Amino acid sequence: MNSAPIATWEGAKAYFTFADQPAVLMLISALALAACVGVLVSMVRHETDCVKKLPN
Amino acid sequence: MDNAALLAKIEALEASVALTKTVNAEVFYWWCTALMIAIHAGFLAYEMGASRAKNALASGLKNLLAFAFLVPAFYFFGWWIYLAFPTGFSISEASSGGVVWGESMGPNLGDNASGIFWAAFTLFAATTASIMSGAVIERIRMSAFTILAVILGAFVWILGASWGWHPEGWLTSTFGLHDIGAAGCVHMVAGFFTLGVLINLGPRLGRFNADGTVNHISGHNMPMSLIGLMLIVMGFFGFLGGCILYNGGTWMTIYNTPTTLSAFAFNTLMGVAGGMIGSYLVTRDPFWMMSGALIGVISSAPGLDVYYPPLAFLISFIGGCVIPKLADMLLTRFKIDDAVGAVAVHGLGGVWGLLAVGLFAAGYPNVNGPAISFGGQFMSMIVFALLGFLPGFAASYVLKMLGMLRTDPKVELAGLDVAEVPVKAYPEASTIPAFTGGEALSPAE
Repeated sequence: MNSAPIATWEGAKAYFTFADQPAVLMLISALALAACVGVLVSMVRHETDCVKKLPN
Repeated sequence: MDNAALLAKIEALEASVALTKTVNAEVFYWWCTALMIAIHAGFLAYEMGASRAKNALASGLKNLLAFAFLVPAFYFFGWWIYLAFPTGFSISEASSGGVVWGESMGPNLGDNASGIFWAAFTLFAATTASIMSGAVIERIRMSAFTILAVILGAFVWILGASWGWHPEGWLTSTFGLHDIGAAGCVHMVAGFFTLGVLINLGPRLGRFNADGTVNHISGHNMPMSLIGLMLIVMGFFGFLGGCILYNGGTWMTIYNTPTTLSAFAFNTLMGVAGGMIGSYLVTRDPFWMMSGALIGVISSAPGLDVYYPPLAFLISFIGGCVIPKLADMLLTRFKIDDAVGAVAVHGLGGVWGLLAVGLFAAGYPNVNGPAISFGGQFMSMIVFALLGFLPGFAASYVLKMLGMLRTDPKVELAGLDVAEVPVKAYPEASTIPAFTGGEALSPAE
């Protein structure tokens, strides 16, 4: 996958991966945010499960 | 003011700017080196905490010895190797700068660079030895560990650095290798060297039952391990800062491509966070969560200069999710007793980091060599794996054959502190057999 927005370093500015493809950047950002939210949700479930497993 | 006076003023100004640049560069690497010492403070705390109380000081002593021996070893051999072998095994002319009887290897008013770069590289070298040290705790002989640490830190990794972490290294000029944060030459080489050592060293007594099932061996101080791991993460800001070439004016990667400290700041922090969150998800274990921070740094390290920060986060998140599982597999399936997961975190984390650049950052031009590609990253990864594993296995095999690798089982049962360390970690404690010089109730205690 060629993700480089530059072909030469001469005059390069924003050269990070996919810098010339805003849709891809939005997708990557959405995935990263989804990972954070997903882990938070799983954390809540984990806590709830732990409480259920405790003896009364 | 006449022209002559103006010219003199301009010359004085230029000299002053040049001196400022030189001093800035020196100061930058000076503080990077100081920060890297936090890595060793971190490894010290982390490994002592991961040891049982009966081995706490011996584990720490091992770290201190590695650091102390690596400094002269890297002075005498390491720096010369880095300068000598960028093209493979033929000696480069630039190696004269690392000959210990040369003018560059001591105080020299005409050379502000050699000492400060040597110091930074010496701390990288000590880091490789520390990576190995956690894996082998509680049964390796102190002398064997020190010998192996010197081989790894003053010879093996630096050959890898000369090949793949050097402006003219053949892995870059041939394959277009991109590994600006040293995931290959430092982490992979150290991780695979450690794997070779562990195969010969064998597991701690009591780690496995006769039917192959695993006994959990708890370290005696998890909070100390966690603080140690956080110190390592802090030290990595010195480590990664030291990975940048700074001449007082511009920032460049080790491959002479332009970069900024901002790029490193974005992606280092996002990588740390991704690794921590990923490891938390799969383990819920604070030890692995902080190891996940290291996995995160290592996963993103090769592309810190080019990644879009959320991409660095995702790459590290994936590493943080997968590597703990691979560590478990090494233990349960392959019976490798790596006390802290160093082979997985550093070795396999380095593999993932190198391949991730090939997958997600292909196409960037190199100054000296072809553009970044998956094939180039893959080939370089194979070279680093072999460069680490083969010497680690061979050197530890020789030590094993000489009966020098492993402590006596009696010492291992009683605790290395009782046998080898003249002071006690917790002199007022009396409930643990090792503290009183008695034998443990079972090997896993």
